[in-house]
Amino acid sequence: MTTITTSQIPSLSGWRNYLRNLWRWREFSWFLALSNLKARNASTSLGLFWWVLNPLIMAAVYYLVFGLILNGRQGESQFVAWLLSGVFAFNYTATAMTSGANSILANRRLLVNIRFPRLILPISALIETGIGFLFSIIVFYLIAWPADGVIPRVNLIWLPAAVALHSVFNLGLAGWSARLAIPFRDINNLIPHLSRLWLYLSPIIWPLSFLRDRGGLVEDLALLNPIYGILSLYRTALMGREMDLPAVWIAIFWTLVLGAGGILSFVRHEGNMVRHL
Amino acid sequence: MGVRYQAYLDRASTFRRVVANRRLKQQTTVVALDDVSFDVNQGETLGLVGDNGAGKSTLLRVIARTLRPDFGRVIVNGETSTLLQLGAGFNHELSGHRNIFLSALAHGLGRAEVSALYDDIVSYAELGTAIDRPLKSYSSGMVSRLAFSISIHLLPDILLLDEVLAVGDAGFRKKSQAAMVDLLGRGGTVIVASHQLVGMAEICDRVLWLEQGNIREIGPADQVLEAYSRAEPSRPG
Repeated sequence: MTTITTSQIPSLSGWRNYLRNLWRWREFSWFLALSNLKARNASTSLGLFWWVLNPLIMAAVYYLVFGLILNGRQGESQFVAWLLSGVFAFNYTATAMTSGANSILANRRLLVNIRFPRLILPISALIETGIGFLFSIIVFYLIAWPADGVIPRVNLIWLPAAVALHSVFNLGLAGWSARLAIPFRDINNLIPHLSRLWLYLSPIIWPLSFLRDRGGLVEDLALLNPIYGILSLYRTALMGREMDLPAVWIAIFWTLVLGAGGILSFVRHEGNMVRHL
Repeated sequence: MGVRYQAYLDRASTFRRVVANRRLKQQTTVVALDDVSFDVNQGETLGLVGDNGAGKSTLLRVIARTLRPDFGRVIVNGETSTLLQLGAGFNHELSGHRNIFLSALAHGLGRAEVSALYDDIVSYAELGTAIDRPLKSYSSGMVSRLAFSISIHLLPDILLLDEVLAVGDAGFRKKSQAAMVDLLGRGGTVIVASHQLVGMAEICDRVLWLEQGNIREIGPADQVLEAYSRAEPSRPG
């Protein structure tokens, strides 16, 4: 028998309770993610392949426009690997941003009827996207190896750290997007534009030499880009690039600010979410 | 003691949208429940009646704790299981098998616990081999039976029903009412909102009549139901 008073504002013990509940519902988050993948798989003939195919097509378009037509390689000898690793990693973030709000909106009936920690829904959406992302890493090597001679090396031990940091970061962004886009649906329309702008401002379709040529303030500001350090960590892990330590520290900083901040903000306001559905 | 309410007010300040209009200017404050306070006891069936928009569903959501009241509090002893709407959390693309897991896991069970209940849920719902077909191929009666079977097998202390007084055909209806009686027998509580007054008279001990977010009357079922149907002669007896 438990006694629960709903009007209580989450206290410190409330947070501990919340974590305990997250743990209790952990199997639900996995099962929901796998079920959604399965349902998606049933409705399109290429099914799960679209998780990899979508960013791959995107990367092919960027390669054509920026690599070949605008000749944006700028001395980057492994431009294909650079572009692919960037697009795949960024796609994980961009999808997380839209899925944050969408996971809540798509499960309206569940939210209204059943009580469970709401963070389970963005977590489940993240698992769904994350599975696709992990597959895309295999595809990365299948293309980057013949194109640029990039093969998995000992640096790959950094990959779990990169994925873990990136996932917390993404969950936070999903939390922010749900937190803002559920009371204000208009934000849902803005997110794709913001994420496109962010992609162009990040070292994905242009190599780092592009920044070094400009130097000074531009280079310093680019380092502050929240995804800059995460991308650099992936390049270390996947392509054997030298570790850019300041960038990694900045990535950890942003994961704490945007990632943890988004999760906390989401949890603090989840009690009111049902009102906006 | 089952559930106690002390004065609370639910000011749902939603951005209510006019049909297909997404403008945020349409902000209105809706007082869904205004100063409602009552107790429900163990082993009791409480009926909720009231016109559309009286606050029945809001009240059930507050008891289910999916909606936080703006002030006041709800004290709930035990696990609530909700059938507020039939088949919440079902994915119609997926099989009945998978949906049993989805729905039960959403209620906080572990996979091992669901596996242990699985056979009972399927046989109670009388679905047989259909359980492996996608839900979209089910009749609405089959979906309701499955949803009810899951809810009752979660052994809730408090069962909340929104407009689901009768599930399935006559035979299953008898079975579902027997299951509710069983739940009451082990000290559970049933709270049911419905417009079907005859059915309510059969299963409810007490009835709460909500009117525009306020308690108009609460008391023995026959008495309140009679007053309710008298107040508006056009209401279906």
